[in-house]
Amino acid sequence: MVNLTIDGKQITVSRTATIYEAALEAGINIPVLCYAKKLLPFGACRICLVQVEQMKGRLIPSCTTPVSEGMVVTTMSDEILKVRKTVLEFLLVNHVIECPVCDKGGECDLQELTYAHEVVTNRFQGEKFNLETDEVNPLIERNMNRCVLCGRCVRVCDEVVGYGSYSFINRGFETKIATAFDRGLNCEFCGQCVSMCPVGAILPRPFKFKARPWQLKEVDTVCGYCGNGCTVSLGVLDKKIETIRFNDKIGVNDGNLCIRGRFGYSYVNSEERLTTPLVRKNGQLVEASWDEALQVVADGFKQAQASLGILSGARLTNEELFLLKNLAKVAGTANLDHSGGECYKGVTEGLAGSLGIAASTGTFPQVEECEAILAIRSDFYETHPVFGMVVNQAVKRNEAQLWLVADKRGKFAKLPGAQNLLHRPGMELDVLNGLARVLLDEGLAQTEGVEGLAELKQALAEFGADQVATRTGVDAETLRVAARQLAAAKKSAILLAYGLPYTAYSRELGIAAANLAILVGIPGRAGSGLYLCGEKANSQGAIDLGIVPQTGGLGAQAMLDAAANGKLNALYVVGEDLLISYPDRGKVEKALEKVPFLVVQDIFLSSTAAKAHVVLPAASFAEKDGTFTNAERRIQRVRPGIPLPGQAKTDGTIIAALIEKLSGNLAFTGPAAIFAEIGRSVPAYATVSFNGIGPQGFVWGGEILTPSRRRLQPVGGAVPVEGTFQLLTGSALYHSGTVSTRAKGPQAVVAEAYVEFGREDAKALQLKDGDLVKVTGNGVELRLKAKVDNRLPKGVLFAPYHFAAAGINRLYKGEAAVSVTVSK
Amino acid sequence: MFTAIAKGLGITFKHMLPGHSTTVQYPTVKLKMSARFRGLHRLVPTQDREKCVACYLCPTVCPAKCITVEAAENDKGEKYPRIYKIDLLRCIFCGYCVEACPVEALEMTDAYELANYRREDFEFTKERLLK
Repeated sequence: MVNLTIDGKQITVSRTATIYEAALEAGINIPVLCYAKKLLPFGACRICLVQVEQMKGRLIPSCTTPVSEGMVVTTMSDEILKVRKTVLEFLLVNHVIECPVCDKGGECDLQELTYAHEVVTNRFQGEKFNLETDEVNPLIERNMNRCVLCGRCVRVCDEVVGYGSYSFINRGFETKIATAFDRGLNCEFCGQCVSMCPVGAILPRPFKFKARPWQLKEVDTVCGYCGNGCTVSLGVLDKKIETIRFNDKIGVNDGNLCIRGRFGYSYVNSEERLTTPLVRKNGQLVEASWDEALQVVADGFKQAQASLGILSGARLTNEELFLLKNLAKVAGTANLDHSGGECYKGVTEGLAGSLGIAASTGTFPQVEECEAILAIRSDFYETHPVFGMVVNQAVKRNEAQLWLVADKRGKFAKLPGAQNLLHRPGMELDVLNGLARVLLDEGLAQTEGVEGLAELKQALAEFGADQVATRTGVDAETLRVAARQLAAAKKSAILLAYGLPYTAYSRELGIAAANLAILVGIPGRAGSGLYLCGEKANSQGAIDLGIVPQTGGLGAQAMLDAAANGKLNALYVVGEDLLISYPDRGKVEKALEKVPFLVVQDIFLSSTAAKAHVVLPAASFAEKDGTFTNAERRIQRVRPGIPLPGQAKTDGTIIAALIEKLSGNLAFTGPAAIFAEIGRSVPAYATVSFNGIGPQGFVWGGEILTPSRRRLQPVGGAVPVEGTFQLLTGSALYHSGTVSTRAKGPQAVVAEAYVEFGREDAKALQLKDGDLVKVTGNGVELRLKAKVDNRLPKGVLFAPYHFAAAGINRLYKGEAAVSVTVSK
Repeated sequence: MFTAIAKGLGITFKHMLPGHSTTVQYPTVKLKMSARFRGLHRLVPTQDREKCVACYLCPTVCPAKCITVEAAENDKGEKYPRIYKIDLLRCIFCGYCVEACPVEALEMTDAYELANYRREDFEFTKERLLK
């Protein structure tokens, strides 16, 4: 700690603080323009100049100067004010004064500083630039005439996002921020630069001229897409979400968002939202009253009795999931599951068997300090981009060693020093086992208090580094080095994402990852963590609340099997488009056709809903009150920002009404009361009250969740996929589940399905971007647009699963990879 | 004392003489309003559009909340008021809107004869305000 005096105030701050941060801590505000909390100090704008007694003769930029013992700082004097005013005058020499038409007007840092410093005239005159605005992309508009060259966009794109779209080009007065070859922006469109820009140089296009910042009502809630649980502040104008506002004050994401969070909100305002209940009469879905629809549903459920299947989406709040579980009880069925299909078994069975817990052991911010990080599947950035940004920062800022067990060269592989254990498709399991074997062979493993060592050793007989190398294509020596580095690191993290397109070997992968974590000593160690991250906003909540098959009940796949064989009397699907998102569309189709009574509760008339007997209009995340639990066990408040469209009701209200119809008991007593009720059956949720959930959320089980046991479970390897071409499916960065395909932002960037080829294969097949190709596998032929990239190794194809029209799941039946043939 | 009374009455009687009255025969005779009179608003046109750039400062400053603006982008990519409406029944003619306008697109004319028969007639749309 260091003692210093700022404006006569004695303060003690950490040694690493800058004068600006120290002043902030003391409650003294120094004006800044280029400083941003999450970025490294830069010192571009010179607004934050202060006087330091020990450095007389010149003014010191407070945001880049570290504190030292006994420093005496003055933050305000006539001289400082004069210099700040001059700096603003310099900035205003080329800054075009078009505040009336600039969407930043009202929250512009430059505008505020100019106003506060009363800069009304300018002693300097210079040319205003007349550069063209960058409008080649649909989401981010760049007007470099307004730029003040603070470099915040350059830095956030490099330091946090790790994309590096921007750079300064030219010198002197001509300096400007440009993309590669000044061709315009073409990136992953996370919009981090938009949120960082202190002036109106980078703005969100969907929000262009929509409203003034002071007109918007801000509602802090949690993003409804992935399991990252980012805080989003809805900018609401007249009952409509107009934009997502920057908010780094609360939540776990530090103001970082991805394209889905920042630009994927528009589906909520969609005209296609369901607004009235629909009941099938004479083969047609016709509008009905709530009373009628609920009565039909209740009668159907009563008739089905124990042969009712309930499949829930993982985007319901905890309270709604709890009610759903009660509904299952009231309806007398044990067939309950959440929409992860079987893919979360890695957590509920794998992890639970190994560590006695069914959740990630650490929290996201800890990963920034890790020395070694092992990411299983390079798709991790695609499924959880904002957690991916934490990994970026760990690697770029703290020089963490990143190891990847991946079948493609994804974004993580491009990070400095990242080592990719590139393996043949579907062979992650073997690589993980190989790593575990190296740890055991070289005596690096932590085996104290660990059960099942002998069994694991036996099971790993076939997984020597060289054997794994021949099977998976990973270099044996690199595998050994990876294991050694993981074992040597004091703080390390293992990341694995699960979700609908990653069904294969889910349980086994969970076990293998847990084995590796145990051998490295991760579970329970401070700063380390094993992260098994769910795909959807409340996947973890669904696991915590036990939305899994009850004793003797059927799981998701078993329910569909039963339905397809005519053994299920009714199916109640809540918030999931099974037909698109589940593997094996043929089976799902058959199940939905055969089941005598199908109820779908959704916000759109999805393809699953179109087959239903009763469709109930539900609410999106932006219309709900309740809680989500993110992939690091953080329980966060979801707040309603806009009213429900038409007669739609929240899932909670609908489920409660059904419970009332079935049992005659009142079920919905408000989210706070239900949350308290949850605590009675889930002890972890009893440690906090609904209103006690703070701005940072509440992590149940603490920052480090202590495992109740450390048991190594023997696990085999994967069966290699044969064939020249192997098709992988998964999540694309721009989309999440199927609902994002109804949002304008993600659709503007990736509008339709594609099949991605590596350069080598594209060359051999003479394919160009946009060519139509025939992909045949599993007896199904699909025609897809080709996309050529340098991510994929030879023989590997990738197709995202989000798009209804493409029908990837006709071909993909839950395998790790599908052997396919390709022709033009 | 009598001189003072005579002086005062002199002024009084002077006003009774023709040509000294301040009363005019409204509506046949109308007074010319001072330049700073705050009457009906007018949107200033330019050659091809209104001068207004839909910055929302006038509805923001308006104490009576009688101005409705909705911005949009025109073919040239400029910001313009797709909707600009003043509800004269609510307007208190304070002139803050004119004062707030950063581009001098709004002014107040000397029109004060604003009585009308129907409620809708008091809603001044962009087209009416541009006249």
